[in-house]
Amino acid sequence: MNEFFWVSGHIGGGLFTLAIFTGIWWLLSDLVWRLRNIRISRFLIVMSIGWTIGVGLILLGVHLDYL
Amino acid sequence: MAVLVVQIVILCLLVSAGVLWALYFPYPSPLIRRWLPPRKRWPENQIRSWLKSGGFQRSFLDYFNRDPERQALPGTSLLAPADGRVSGTDVRDGVCYLVIALSFWDMHVQRSPTSGKVLRVEAHGDGFMDGEGQEFSFLREKTCPVQKRLVIVTDGGQVAVRLITSLAARRIDTWVRGGESVGRGQRIGRILLGSTVVLELPATTKLLVRTGDRVWAGETAVAEGLTVDE
Repeated sequence: MNEFFWVSGHIGGGLFTLAIFTGIWWLLSDLVWRLRNIRISRFLIVMSIGWTIGVGLILLGVHLDYL
Repeated sequence: MAVLVVQIVILCLLVSAGVLWALYFPYPSPLIRRWLPPRKRWPENQIRSWLKSGGFQRSFLDYFNRDPERQALPGTSLLAPADGRVSGTDVRDGVCYLVIALSFWDMHVQRSPTSGKVLRVEAHGDGFMDGEGQEFSFLREKTCPVQKRLVIVTDGGQVAVRLITSLAARRIDTWVRGGESVGRGQRIGRILLGSTVVLELPATTKLLVRTGDRVWAGETAVAEGLTVDE
């Protein structure tokens, strides 16, 4: 699991992918929020679920790779 | 080492995007602006804040100052003098008034509704106000919004176009003078920022649009029944 954070002199693939995904998800959420007329509470729930699924898939990918 | 450098560059780009987002919030970041429709690209609150501060975003000004070509419908119908929404129609003292409200995002170049000769360009009004088109306040003798009235004479009668300022729009440029001939759909002037344009027609003309309709300058037929030169 240590390879998640740091590996062979660079940031671990897991942490790096997570950071990129979170950043892009944040910016995309902002775009979607502006484009669609949607209640903020409902929008936050949907985007949080999407982010959780994304993070879950990344962690699963890292775990499978580690095995 | 090379991988680390690439990772750091990518993360720096992402952090820059985040900083831009935070700097512009609640308004859209320049990174996503291009994908938004104009009303969301420059929200009304942002434009009103620019009106107070006097500084405008260059991209908004470029958008605001657009002057696209327009293709007039064939025929003799009277064309809309401005882009906007019809906010009222009424007949008063034998004159049919068609009021078009322009928003901040509308194209602001006005066009002649018909061909004819400009009889005169009159300047009226003494104040800048909001709601300049409501209750026909532009017809008041006192506390009337600053406006210019272009009177055009045609074979079928006389029509006039009023370019009216608002609290935000404080300048009108007219590009025709008394004695000049104008063509149907020809550019006649520009109001700077959202305001109102009123078309005055003989009461005998038949309006083709209703309150709430969207019209485009030099393209939308708004009335018929006036015989004009082609």
